[in-house]
Amino acid sequence: MAETDKALQELEDLFAAARAERPAVPDRLTAAILEDAARERLRAEPVAPRRPARRPLWRQLAEAVGGWPAMGGLAAASAAGLWIGLAPPSFVPDPVALAGYEDSSTAVPYENYDMAVMLSEDLQ
Amino acid sequence: MSRAAEEVSDDALLVLYANGDGRAAADLTARLSPRVFGVAMRVMGNRAEAEDVTQEAMLRLWKMAPEWRPGEAQVSTWLYRVAMNLCIDRKRRARGGHVELDAVPEPPDPARSAAEAMQEGARQDALQSALMQLPERQRQAVVLRHLEELSNPEIAGIMDISVEAVESLTARGKRALAAVLAGRREELGYSDG
Repeated sequence: MAETDKALQELEDLFAAARAERPAVPDRLTAAILEDAARERLRAEPVAPRRPARRPLWRQLAEAVGGWPAMGGLAAASAAGLWIGLAPPSFVPDPVALAGYEDSSTAVPYENYDMAVMLSEDLQ
Repeated sequence: MSRAAEEVSDDALLVLYANGDGRAAADLTARLSPRVFGVAMRVMGNRAEAEDVTQEAMLRLWKMAPEWRPGEAQVSTWLYRVAMNLCIDRKRRARGGHVELDAVPEPPDPARSAAEAMQEGARQDALQSALMQLPERQRQAVVLRHLEELSNPEIAGIMDISVEAVESLTARGKRALAAVLAGRREELGYSDG
């Protein structure tokens, strides 16, 4: 037990001597550390925000409605609307009739006139 | 290091550095690099490796500075932890390779006689040699506790283990060191009296 205590005390003495003689940092290591610090500081410096590149109007419009997927949907809906307007299915009421216009032959001017009658009238 | 800098915490200096203060880097280097270098020398047992570990640990400190959140942890604890992990990585890579056991030179002390200096140098070499025979984690714990004089909770934070585990590692490490050195008592000039 006494042997162990003595060995541990000698170890404590060795630790104390080691603490008293801390190795000095070599100058070139300090210089290298400071070089790293300067380089990293420059790298981390905030850069001025870059002006966003000017984009064409059509792209801005496409992005405003939600990008290309939304533009595709919009185009499909527009085409379907135009098609239904021009050739409505039978079960859809005729929008022209709904607006109060009759698709009758009387609505077409000069239908009963032929070129000869018109010319004869001009000659009179 | 300036007198004013000594009163500024590591935390504050790191924030100053992150904000572009080059002088803060010099103050932090003067304050922290000797501690990292000392620990790395003892743990690696090799000056060149210790220099590499110190430079790499400090570089990681500079890189981390912009994200550092003051008050959450101690800069020195963070740095010791990085350094210890770098030491472990290097030891793993070098496993099986040559390890210098006596690569820690002792600076001459003019106040001592040549014989005393030689004997003290031999004892310090013996301590380093014995340290290198400890398992990696035991060596780290002993160096941080008995050479850096850090508290057990701080060592626990650095090594990411419990305080009880630190106590166990340092106790076993000391016993192992004492056993190794006991075989060299006569050679190192210790008397039996």
